[in-house]
Amino acid sequence: MRIGIVLLIAKHFWTSVFKTRTIYLLMAIVGILLIYSVYSGTRYYDQNHFRSDHQEMARKSWEGNPDKHPHRMAHFGTFAFRTKHPLSQFDFGIESFTGNAVFLEAHKQNTVNFSEAGFSTGLLRFGELSMAMILQTILPLIIFFVGYSAIVSDREHGTLKLLLSQGASWKEILFGRSIGLAWIAILFSLPFLLITLWLLINDHHSSGDVWTRFFMISMTYLLFALILSLVTIFVSTGSKSSKNALVKLLGLWMLMTVLLPRSSQALGSYFYSTPTKLEFRSKIEAEVIQHGDSHNPNDPHYQALRDSVLAVHQVDDVTELPFNYGGFVMSVGEEISARIYNKHHNELLEQYRNQNKLNRWLAIVNPYLAVKNLSMALCGTDFESYVDFQLQAEIYRYELAQKMNELQIKHISPNRVSGSEGKTHVVSREEWKAFPDFEHQYLSIGRSLKNESISSISLMLWTFLAIGLIVRQSKIAKAI
Amino acid sequence: MYALMFGQFLRTRTCQIGLVLILILGVISILIGKQFLIDQEKITSDVVENHAGHLKRNLEFHSDDIGLLLYYLEFVLVNPSSPIAALSIGQRDINPSVQSVNIRTLEGQRHDTDLVNPVSLLHGNLDLSFIILFVFPLLIIAFTYNLRSEEVESGTWRLVGVMSKSKFKFLLMKLAVRIALVLIALVVLIVLAALTLNISWNAAFVAFFVTGFLYQLFWFGICFWVVSLRQNSAVNALALLVIWLTLVILLPSALNNHIANKYPVPEALTTIIKQRDGYHQKWDTSKRETMEKFYTKYPQFESFGFPPEEGFNWLWYYAIQHMGDEESLDDSQMMRAKIEQREFKSRNWAKVVPTMHTQVVFNDVAGTSLTNHMDFLRQIQDFHEQIRLFFYPKIFHDENAKQINWEQFEPSYVQQEEEIDWIGNLLPLTIGLFLFLLLAVINRKAM
Repeated sequence: MRIGIVLLIAKHFWTSVFKTRTIYLLMAIVGILLIYSVYSGTRYYDQNHFRSDHQEMARKSWEGNPDKHPHRMAHFGTFAFRTKHPLSQFDFGIESFTGNAVFLEAHKQNTVNFSEAGFSTGLLRFGELSMAMILQTILPLIIFFVGYSAIVSDREHGTLKLLLSQGASWKEILFGRSIGLAWIAILFSLPFLLITLWLLINDHHSSGDVWTRFFMISMTYLLFALILSLVTIFVSTGSKSSKNALVKLLGLWMLMTVLLPRSSQALGSYFYSTPTKLEFRSKIEAEVIQHGDSHNPNDPHYQALRDSVLAVHQVDDVTELPFNYGGFVMSVGEEISARIYNKHHNELLEQYRNQNKLNRWLAIVNPYLAVKNLSMALCGTDFESYVDFQLQAEIYRYELAQKMNELQIKHISPNRVSGSEGKTHVVSREEWKAFPDFEHQYLSIGRSLKNESISSISLMLWTFLAIGLIVRQSKIAKAI
Repeated sequence: MYALMFGQFLRTRTCQIGLVLILILGVISILIGKQFLIDQEKITSDVVENHAGHLKRNLEFHSDDIGLLLYYLEFVLVNPSSPIAALSIGQRDINPSVQSVNIRTLEGQRHDTDLVNPVSLLHGNLDLSFIILFVFPLLIIAFTYNLRSEEVESGTWRLVGVMSKSKFKFLLMKLAVRIALVLIALVVLIVLAALTLNISWNAAFVAFFVTGFLYQLFWFGICFWVVSLRQNSAVNALALLVIWLTLVILLPSALNNHIANKYPVPEALTTIIKQRDGYHQKWDTSKRETMEKFYTKYPQFESFGFPPEEGFNWLWYYAIQHMGDEESLDDSQMMRAKIEQREFKSRNWAKVVPTMHTQVVFNDVAGTSLTNHMDFLRQIQDFHEQIRLFFYPKIFHDENAKQINWEQFEPSYVQQEEEIDWIGNLLPLTIGLFLFLLLAVINRKAM
């Protein structure tokens, strides 16, 4: 294979495509979609200020509390608002379907509420127009459209024989046309990537691994464009007529982007059932009660605990202890209930992961899914990023509850056995300020990618497979 | 002639694969819908069964302190799913259809979500409405894009001119064969759904059926119009796919972006902070002041007077709980207004986008729309107030809990009978259908 000839053929394909009027029409359409998706993406991302404003509002109100009993503060609680990743401007991922705000208080793990989907009409279910969505769904169609007749129409017109007789080999022609098509595909993708880069540069939140993420996103989409171009040329070469090539490619597109992903996700959910909220809650409750009911003064578990604490300190009554016993019991209870909650919550997440597994594995045969999964993960808008937010919120909640218990143990008189109302037995308000605010940290790129190894492998495999297909095709292709 | 055409078309691979695929997908979608209904019923029956035990247990422990009892007691309101919901799951997958509320601040409770896998929400439900909205049009496109061009491309078009009186009539006959097959497939699936899900043929289901029917005819209209433009197969296929892409994906998703951006709902976040502050900060302020505010809202309880400033008291406690709702009221109402605005706008747009319109009708008749959920939220509010007002005097009087008839607090079911707007439902699709038929007939001569 002579590189010079390959590039010549590629260049020739490029020029011939730009001689048609359709390519400019396609560019105009994609241009409009791009502008609109950039506008939407940045507007969505701007809503971050609502979240941070409310985080501040909640904090102000937390710090504004007067001196009071720490257990009141444990229930006053605070909120965690999920902030969007800067790259969510590019790929919305599951953002619209995940909750945005969670109330954090002692003893109770609340649900993350107020997802965009909850406020949405049925419209959302048709999908969202993001830059990533256009590159994943519309770009394949454009590549198919530009390239479907690349080989087959030359055969139909008899020009292919001419080209071969002029000394070009099949391999050179097929790779040349593939590269030419890939250039066009990349030309269509580049504005998306460049605008994303520009948005990131202008965003003061972009730091750390955001550039690595951007680089990998670019690689992902460029590989995708290459794979699609190779597949198009492969199908074009193997088809009897232009029409056949187009119909095959359109069918492939429908199967890959519309039918398969939804069907496999639906089957995943069908086979792995998840508990209802009530089942979930009551299982946790039942298990917590097995470890003793901290609200029941006669509970054997807590009676034993009290007796042992009294024995260690050689006193007869909790009021004689050197610390507040109520705070101590609550901290033990919090530890137990949080541990049990986390166990069940992890089981639930594992079940969700099982539901998602089919689609994850299908990425091996469906590069569209591979790109979709990878892109979401890289943009911090995937399932694991959301799970990580929940985890951060729960850790913060636990620390807050235990800090308040600790304050009660240390600073509240042992004589105050129960109740938290009133102006006596209080802790200084300075303590509220001393406890740091919740700050949502984005998942690191290493952890994001760890979950997407199948998709990464799939893209590599597909690149080799597509090249292999072209090589094989070049050996068996017929000129007439 | 028709028999011949049927036979001929049935032997093509497109026809066989297409019909088999749609029937398989349709059956899967019905099974998924059934599973959804079973899950919904399980959620409801779990809560309902659990509720009797919950009442009994709490009555055992706390019947000597009615204030404490009502702190714990939960009351259940159910928004039952119609079996049609299995065919058009709509917003029911994300919005809970069962709500348990206690008599404390409502705003902190009524927005709690169910446990759902967000990735499944992203990919969407494979229910029958998806098959009808997304997949059937693809089948129609596959069946008709080369209605005329296949004859031209295989060289039989001239023959047709010789054999039949009118080429246009010939195409109409070919079209009729395809319409018949597609509609039979739709009828089979809908009848199958009715049998599997025990759906009665009430007005709502008939509306679902007729709308689905009309929607398919609308697509045949589009396809026939494109065919009448006399392009080759490749151009037709591409043109139809672009139309499909625009109507089914691009236009609705662009409009979704528009509406979501135009009406963001930060009031939701403000509401939950304010309800928390409205309640919690009252622990540190004058009890008298709180009670005055409470009595302005509920003057009928004024005779209970003002509790001492020091110490705990249930009258004051439930008053401060209610302050959470009072102080977040403005934001809560603004949030509702925003959401209603979103619904209003999308319904308006739906009138001119047939795919959106069909989805709106499906979700309406299935009781799975956002409107349905907003109504439910409103009913929860009334339900909450009704229960509060029942128990307030009993708590303030410290009545004996055993004297209350608890049976009246079994889970309640919301009734949401919606009138079906036949004209509004069917008119947009009918207009669209006739528009394209007219366009096609104009091109008749040239064919």
